Amino acid sequence: ELVQFLLVKDQKKIPIKRADMLKNVIREYRDAYMEIVSQAGRILQETFGLQLVEIDPKLHSYILISSLPCAEANHPCRAKEKEKMGLLIVILSFIFMKGNAVKDSALWEFLRWLRVHPGEQHEIFGDVQKLVTEEFVRQKYLKITPIPLMDPPQFSYQWGPRAAQETSKEDILNFVAKVQGKNPKFWTSQHNEATA
Amino acid sequence: ENREEMLSSKSNRLTEALEEANKLFEKVCRAREAALDAQFLVLASNLGKEKANELHSEMTSFDSATFAEDLLTLMGINRIEAEENDSEPGGFLPRDAWQKVGEEALKYFRRAPTFHYMLGSFKSDPPVAKQRIERQKKASRGEAKQIMPAQLKKMEESHEEATEKEVERILGILQTLFENDPDTPISFFDFVIDPNSFARTVENMFHVSFLIRDGLAELRLDDDKLPVIEPTKSRKVGEENRGPGARKQVVMSLTQEEWK
Repeated sequence: ELVQFLLVKDQKKIPIKRADMLKNVIREYRDAYMEIVSQAGRILQETFGLQLVEIDPKLHSYILISSLPCAEANHPCRAKEKEKMGLLIVILSFIFMKGNAVKDSALWEFLRWLRVHPGEQHEIFGDVQKLVTEEFVRQKYLKITPIPLMDPPQFSYQWGPRAAQETSKEDILNFVAKVQGKNPKFWTSQHNEATA
Repeated sequence: ENREEMLSSKSNRLTEALEEANKLFEKVCRAREAALDAQFLVLASNLGKEKANELHSEMTSFDSATFAEDLLTLMGINRIEAEENDSEPGGFLPRDAWQKVGEEALKYFRRAPTFHYMLGSFKSDPPVAKQRIERQKKASRGEAKQIMPAQLKKMEESHEEATEKEVERILGILQTLFENDPDTPISFFDFVIDPNSFARTVENMFHVSFLIRDGLAELRLDDDKLPVIEPTKSRKVGEENRGPGARKQVVMSLTQEEWK
């Protein structure tokens, strides 16, 4: 039952809280909680090739990621999801190549070149600012923190814990290399960092 | 003071300041002045560190403008000459621009595939039995009980009953339709699809699955290999769950595109 619960809860890609698991599924078997969770993890791994990862040890929230190596093209995936992943990888790439943290002004200036504007409704993404600053953050793909002592306030954008789990610096560097038709070693310091 | 100026990579101000400090230090003969010199060194070294950081990012030669250009190429931008009233200078982006990026992006993520609609219920207790228990609880509510549990129970009941009622309603509809035309089973899709609402369609399928699970309706394939549904003709009690209508599990998927 817990397995089904986790699979459905994962649809929105928002981390699953332990409290929810206890309330909705485990209920009276609270004491056996750890056993049940690890059992569920085993089933997810063996039957679905999915890994249950604790993304926040304080809040005890979990995400599901695939434990299989990235398959080739033709993932069974809806168009909306693909589009969001496209935007996400572009943002993650920008952040990494620029030294793992960027100011919000820098990011949005970059996105402007791709016809994505923060204040406007985007044909595909709708309220793109909300998508980036709320949805991606809630899903733990991005981490946005205010930069201290800045007036007007500015924010620093970094990779979130889910991004670190689902992909890697090396993968993202390879993406950038592919897009630009260059060898990943072309960017020496990023390459060193990614393969450290 | 001239922080920004010193940080600029083109400026040698920092070096000049250090040289000046060196010269001054030679003239120092009092402790106070030495302390000032030390203070200055700390400041200078902090600035130096920041400057080195900035230098670092310039040297990695990542050019965001080129990256953006290359991304647009990946998206399939049509770089025609800008026309007179062209709102988008520089080219025209096709509708599937971002899908193309996404397609490539997926190769770099270990993302758990999103689970779409599955046929079947998550509850392990048969709804009928549970409802009986709840009816009993309702009757005995006259006895003194804590307020909290009673409230919670009430919420759960209404949730249960709502599903139960829906299922009964759908069974009723199915039976009525079948009464009018007893020999023709109904096309499953005609039965469940709501042309105006994808969500309603999914809900209908969910409720129908209860009927099937409880043996109150049957699903089979007709001569055209299309699924049809009919209420089970009354059989002896007990036979329903184990009879020749062998229970199989079916997973049905229906995407919004398919529904359209």
